Amino acid sequence: MSEALAAPAPAESGRTPPILEVRGASKLFGPVRALNDVSISLDEGQVLGLLGDNGAGKSTLIKAITGVHRLDAGKIYIDGEPADIRSPNDARALGIEAVYQDLALFDNLGVVSNLYLGNELTKPRRLRALGWLDRKAMETEARRKLESLQVHLPSFNSSVGLMSGGQRQAVAVARAVAFATRVLILDEPTAALGVRETRNVLDTIAELPRRYNISIILISHNMDHVVEVCDKAVVMRQGGVVGQVVPTAETMEEMVSLIVGAKTHKKE
Amino acid sequence: MTTTTRPPSAAPERQDQWTQRLRGLFGARILGLVLALAILIAVTTLLNPRFLSGQSVRDILLAAAISVLLASGMTMVILTRGIDLSVGSVLGLSAFGTATFLSEYELAVPLAVLLGVVIGSLCGAINGALITVGGVPPLVATLGTLYLFRGIVYFWAGGSRISAGDMPRSFLDFGTARILGFPYLTLIAVVMAIAVGVYLARYRSGRDLYALGSSPEAARLAGIPATRRLMGAYIMAGTLSGLGGVLYAARYGTVDASAGNGLELDIVAAVVVGGVAIFGGSGTVFGAALGALLLTVINNALPSLGIDQFWQRAIVGALIIGAIALDRIVAVRTAAAARKATTHVH
Repeated sequence: MSEALAAPAPAESGRTPPILEVRGASKLFGPVRALNDVSISLDEGQVLGLLGDNGAGKSTLIKAITGVHRLDAGKIYIDGEPADIRSPNDARALGIEAVYQDLALFDNLGVVSNLYLGNELTKPRRLRALGWLDRKAMETEARRKLESLQVHLPSFNSSVGLMSGGQRQAVAVARAVAFATRVLILDEPTAALGVRETRNVLDTIAELPRRYNISIILISHNMDHVVEVCDKAVVMRQGGVVGQVVPTAETMEEMVSLIVGAKTHKKE
Repeated sequence: MTTTTRPPSAAPERQDQWTQRLRGLFGARILGLVLALAILIAVTTLLNPRFLSGQSVRDILLAAAISVLLASGMTMVILTRGIDLSVGSVLGLSAFGTATFLSEYELAVPLAVLLGVVIGSLCGAINGALITVGGVPPLVATLGTLYLFRGIVYFWAGGSRISAGDMPRSFLDFGTARILGFPYLTLIAVVMAIAVGVYLARYRSGRDLYALGSSPEAARLAGIPATRRLMGAYIMAGTLSGLGGVLYAARYGTVDASAGNGLELDIVAAVVVGGVAIFGGSGTVFGAALGALLLTVINNALPSLGIDQFWQRAIVGALIIGAIALDRIVAVRTAAAARKATTHVH
């Protein structure tokens, strides 16, 4: 850790520092080494594909970035500055949001509650958490945000547990996009979706960096999707990074062999 | 983003219709409670006109007051997927404590009342600590404290009882005093229930309790401080039980170590009948309070109809099963509706 701190923050001098950089991340769950000296960096407006088999450590890595897990060793840098992310609220304050594989929605609650839980608007604003919930403002803003994402839901008040897979996905993505100002992390966002809905998600991923200048980390098992939307791909295996590839139709085979461990890159 | 262009099929409308029907069903819980209350009162009054006499109504309102208080606290806890089985014992401990402070230590009434409430808060804090810090499942933790707190009362009382003559007149008067015909105790219960209801519906930390019960994992990912919120819910349940104990002492005047014995299940029953999902995440204090009122009215109506004690219990049991069956039907229909909507959208 001390060496990581001593090193100059931007990897290449003269360039703007990456918007998000993880250096030397390690995490143990009991005897299991979930992350072993993992380093990744994400530039502003970039879409990074995070690839790897189940249990490769992808979910642990993103949960460390979002403050759900704390790293045993290693450091996270935001805009070149070391960031101390201790909780999901810290990550959120830094503009980092995630859509988890299981969506992490509150099935009993309505759309507006789901969008705002943990972020609710209150009035008067300066009382923050002590103020009343500003339900009207939340509903108006939720409508505006969903509209800007071109999401149409049949009803705002019915609980999201009643909605279809695609609609639930839309709510989860809308929640993350609504609050992400720097980095949006998507964990297999198309896993439960039909063809048309998958298309919409991919279009959104392609559009967000351009429209809102948000950088994206995309976890996916679908190589076609990675090739289509990602600027670079990092392959993880058994808790470590085994390769970094610019995803194109030509490198698809290379990515797959890295994932299954048939081929290893020399690190860095 | 997804489902951008609405399909030409009638799926959205159909789903709207379903959700409306479902909302109707949820509203039907409140409506059903009010209807059951009305029918029960009407039939009982028809057969026994004295049932609606001033004194009888006041008795019901007084009895319901304590149930409503405890049901409000229980609602907060059950919303988080927890349960508090110690409320009866906490009430007993607080009632006996308050009565002892007044009779033996001759403390001023406000101080004794405050101490009674604080006893409840402390008991709640113990429950909360066992569950959040100790990681003990709520059912087990509060089952343990049910016996623990009751044991403390028995030890403290040692078989003695405190009777009305030992307590100051002003305290006992407070137990029966009325304002515009309404007993004070009932007003206190109503005010507390409204306060809890507003807190749950209109405050961030109140919404967090629903979130914790709806999906603990999602709540964690959303950064909701689970430990603090759960602790708060159990302390609040304890505090309201403590207040219930104070009201119990003021109302009955006579307190022994068995005060509130077995009350916990009546309160859980009231909350469940009132539409609070036993697995958390849904329900309102308003429903729980109506449930408490309904069970109190049943307890008072059946004897005045000359119906056997046994049936009283059986009817409460049938109501609980009916309420849970209704929840189940709603859940099944909900799932069916969601499936239907899914197949249409895809």
